[in-house]
Amino acid sequence: MQDLVLFVLLGLGAGSVIAGIALAVVITYRGSGIINLAIGAISMVAAYAFWALRSDFFGITLATVPAIVVVMLSSILVGVVSELLVFRPLRTSSPLAKLVASLGILLTLQATMLLWFGSASKQIPNVFPDDILQIFDTSIPANRFWMAAVVVVISLAVGAVYRWTRFGLATRAASENEVFAMLAGLSPNQLSMVNTLLASALAGAMGIIAAPLAQADSTTLVLFIVPALAAALFAGFTSLPIAVIAGFGIGIGQSLMFYASTLSWFPTEQGGNPLPGTQALLTFVLLVVALSLRGASLPTRGELVEKRLPEAPRPKHLARSAAVFGAIGVVLLVVLPFGYRQALMLSLIGMVLCLSLVVITGFVGQVSLAQVALAGVAGFVVSHMIVDAGIGFPWGPIAGSIAGVVVGLIVGASALRVRGVSLAVVTLAGVVAIEQFGFASKRWGAGSAGSPVEQPSLLGFDLGTTASYRGLDGKLPSPVLGFVFLACVIALCLLVAQIRRSVLGQQMLAVRANERAAAAAGINVARVKITAYAISSFIAGTAGWMYAYNFGSVSAARFGFLIALAFVAFAYIGGITMVSGAVIGGLVATEGLVPHFFQELLGISGNWTLLVGGLILIVTVIQNPEGVAGTTYRKRQASKRAKAAADVATETMARAGES
Amino acid sequence: MATEPTLQLEKLSAGYDAAAVVRELDLYVNPGEVVAMLGPNGAGKTTTLRAISGLLRPMNGVIRIDGIDIASKPPAARARDGIAHVPEGRGVFFGLTVAEHFRLGHRGEQLDVDAAYDHFPALAAIKDRRAGLLSGGEQQMLTLGRALARRPRLLLLDELSLGLAPVIVERLLPVVSTYAKESGCAVLLVEQHIHIALAVADRAYVLSHGEVIIHESAEKLRGDHQLILSGYLGEQETTATVSD
Amino acid sequence: MTTVLSARGVSVSFGGVHAVVDVDLDVEPGQLVGLIGPNGAGKTTFVDAISGFVPHRGTVTLDGVDITGSSPHSRARRGLSRTWQAIELFDDLTVRENLTVAAQHPSTLATLKELFARPIPLSQGIDEALEAFALEELADATPTELTQGQRKLVGVARALAARPKCLCLDEPAAGLDAHESVAFGRHLREIVDRGTPTLLIDHDMGLVLGISDHVVVLEFGQVIADGTPGEVRSDPSVVAAYLGSAADELTAAD
Repeated sequence: MQDLVLFVLLGLGAGSVIAGIALAVVITYRGSGIINLAIGAISMVAAYAFWALRSDFFGITLATVPAIVVVMLSSILVGVVSELLVFRPLRTSSPLAKLVASLGILLTLQATMLLWFGSASKQIPNVFPDDILQIFDTSIPANRFWMAAVVVVISLAVGAVYRWTRFGLATRAASENEVFAMLAGLSPNQLSMVNTLLASALAGAMGIIAAPLAQADSTTLVLFIVPALAAALFAGFTSLPIAVIAGFGIGIGQSLMFYASTLSWFPTEQGGNPLPGTQALLTFVLLVVALSLRGASLPTRGELVEKRLPEAPRPKHLARSAAVFGAIGVVLLVVLPFGYRQALMLSLIGMVLCLSLVVITGFVGQVSLAQVALAGVAGFVVSHMIVDAGIGFPWGPIAGSIAGVVVGLIVGASALRVRGVSLAVVTLAGVVAIEQFGFASKRWGAGSAGSPVEQPSLLGFDLGTTASYRGLDGKLPSPVLGFVFLACVIALCLLVAQIRRSVLGQQMLAVRANERAAAAAGINVARVKITAYAISSFIAGTAGWMYAYNFGSVSAARFGFLIALAFVAFAYIGGITMVSGAVIGGLVATEGLVPHFFQELLGISGNWTLLVGGLILIVTVIQNPEGVAGTTYRKRQASKRAKAAADVATETMARAGES
Repeated sequence: MATEPTLQLEKLSAGYDAAAVVRELDLYVNPGEVVAMLGPNGAGKTTTLRAISGLLRPMNGVIRIDGIDIASKPPAARARDGIAHVPEGRGVFFGLTVAEHFRLGHRGEQLDVDAAYDHFPALAAIKDRRAGLLSGGEQQMLTLGRALARRPRLLLLDELSLGLAPVIVERLLPVVSTYAKESGCAVLLVEQHIHIALAVADRAYVLSHGEVIIHESAEKLRGDHQLILSGYLGEQETTATVSD
Repeated sequence: MTTVLSARGVSVSFGGVHAVVDVDLDVEPGQLVGLIGPNGAGKTTFVDAISGFVPHRGTVTLDGVDITGSSPHSRARRGLSRTWQAIELFDDLTVRENLTVAAQHPSTLATLKELFARPIPLSQGIDEALEAFALEELADATPTELTQGQRKLVGVARALAARPKCLCLDEPAAGLDAHESVAFGRHLREIVDRGTPTLLIDHDMGLVLGISDHVVVLEFGQVIADGTPGEVRSDPSVVAAYLGSAADELTAAD
């Protein structure tokens, strides 16, 4: 009983930070309709800045209060800059474009901090007294109560602002109906800006008070965004008190789960350690239960312009494109030096992952972040098949793909009624759960190390990275595995292109455009969605076993939460509605051909790659809200139309000349 | 010298997705005048109001307020300049109470709450209730009360009667015409119940398929039932279609 | 012959508001039935109810089969096609593709065959529907390239492409100009005469009264008049519904 109380009270600490960030998430959403993934990253910046100002990093040491003031001002600055430079230009873009842009901000901030402060984590200076309280005969650090008190006071203050001030009224009005608010003379840009100020200040404060449970490093505080998003979703991205209560609830729940894992009845894995990742699993399960109980649609904002995904043109010249692509691929695999060859093979895998997003997000409009996790499922199945049962190529990959489809169907079926951004948040929580509970577990995944995969061979031919044919430079990896990958990519590209041309693909686009009208046209919406989940999971599973064979092992780190987000970004930038977009997405994916080129030619590496990647992500989204492939397609269409018009004009003039 | 019209539309064309719903519309409203815009659904009345308040960018033509072209102003700026647009449906925020509706405003704006409660005493009694819990008539009273409390110089009213018994609107509209006469506010109102609209209007335009087909004084139209019936119920078109 | 579409005692309530109250309506073979009434009278809600988009009381039968409990997509596949007040075209699909998804519902096997081998032969309904509204030349355009009037026609053609037993059109002529509206009426009458019974909702009274065989008038969710266009036009309660409560004197003065 005492222990129970102890862990509930200890959970107040994490609960406070989750609640505070959740509050900032809801404030941002109400102010501008943006789901900002970078809010945890602002807390991270604040934590680093607070450390730096208190420890002579910049050549001066400030006292606690002035340091707090400077930190809050810098957090606000970060928020304002991202509002002005990133979100305002994207005002009328699709929610997905905004999500991708906020990921760009997150990566940029992470890279900046790493470059500035180095990779060693810093101790955030303590702002609370170090007292220990005795409650029910247990010792509890007083700072947990201080943290909770700060968050509760801030929440009440924010609540009061929204309840009683003119600004609060205006925000409530505008978040209910933006058009009516404009007619009342309220400027959406101004409201969005003030709310951003508030949210960034709040995020900054969380970075300061997190000292007792987190250090200033590049991930801990950033990742608090996941449980915070879950809490915000509980609150329907609307209710401030529910977001705060849910935040505390998740923190305490996780603490209790940790307590349970110390008890004897708790299931263990090899080595007698308790199963890992049960805390993430708990968050995910709570979220799914909550959504199924109260429905999932977020309130609409009554906006002026309906924001749609980019158009998905019908692909043409399939055979020609496939032949050209295949020929270039074969030549490059043979000719390129080994570094570029490896990058090309990773790009091919990236293309497959992007293709799976083209089907589920581009064609059906479901923003699923689970695709990378499904790839992981397939990869681990391939590894376990060979390690535990001695089954290798091609049966391992087949089983892997099937496992991907099964998990994908479970995700799809449980998310049938969840749409849009809610779906993105649920699948994000799912990714973290699968990563921590599944992949990082010794029982199902690989623990902290990788799980080995034997190289593939078929009918006595070695198809792996160590096959005897080594390309022009004679080095590893062998192009042979690349040929296998290339064949897979071409086959899947053709499949996805065929889907777009088929009645099934047209049904998918009809569902994406308007579920109600699709049902009125006799389309079984649920069936179309499930079919799309199955196909897209199959494709993601294929990427999973490609990874496994490429690296000769699988590890949880390859299929984590940030990778999942990054792939949505790559697919979106490339062009999430087109096969050619997936190809571009694969080329720019992490460690792919384009980043490798940057690294080799410009000497950009490590954290600089991260920084440049984040900035390019932001710039590309703003320049091409429809993706690179989409922009190219539109330009070509426009010039075709202009040419046709010119032809008509010439013809008319010629005719006039004849007569 | 004749006074300058508060609102003047010159050859206004507007619509959605490059398809014009309103074509080359000329229309004016003088200060203190109540002008009705009538016509069947899809005739372009709502589109016209949306273009005036800035929710829709016109394809062509000029919109002048007190002689000044307002093309470059966003909707919020037009609202601050004294254009009050009461949109179709219920222009209220369901989550806000009645009293909060009167506190809501842009910077420096002070709504004349007392005037609103004077116009609609019933509102004062329910001032702490959320707008979402009010009846349709009360909501419409609130919308109108809020618009008047802003002391606009141009009031645009879109189908106040939608989903309401006509008798409720018959009670709301006279408040508008009284206000217009007293304050010099120009009123452009769209209404499907012709009789109610003509009872308070000084002049009326009848639109059909995006064009003005009748422009007459309300008095003349009140007297000439056949004219309005033919313009509105499409009696002439009917004969045309049947004989086709 | 059996009544094509029959609604009996259809009622819809939202919260405490009775949007549609106990409405009976029949569409007989070969008939064009008009449904009119002021804004907010419950016409669209009635169509939403019979097409399965809002829960309702009462029964709906199509060609003698009770479809009351069916989902919207299965009602559509059994032959009840509808259009929407706001044009709800699939903007990502060409005109022909828009019609295709409504007309063709391939089985899983047929879909697989289509993906890996041969295209599914297009149903004749698609070409017929394109022809009925002279849209053949626009078949490969996307909806965003069309005028408002053309978009409206594509919406109706899509509903027709499924070769429905009964067509429900919600304000197909709103937004058309006077000329387009007259032409549309002519096309629609031909479609009905060629064998597709239709329920037409529109505000263009000239259009509805001009081409319908039978007209039903709703006000505040209830049927206030029911008869031939001639009967309805001279019905004082109908004129009152359109002109306001004091309109009696107006008609009396006529």
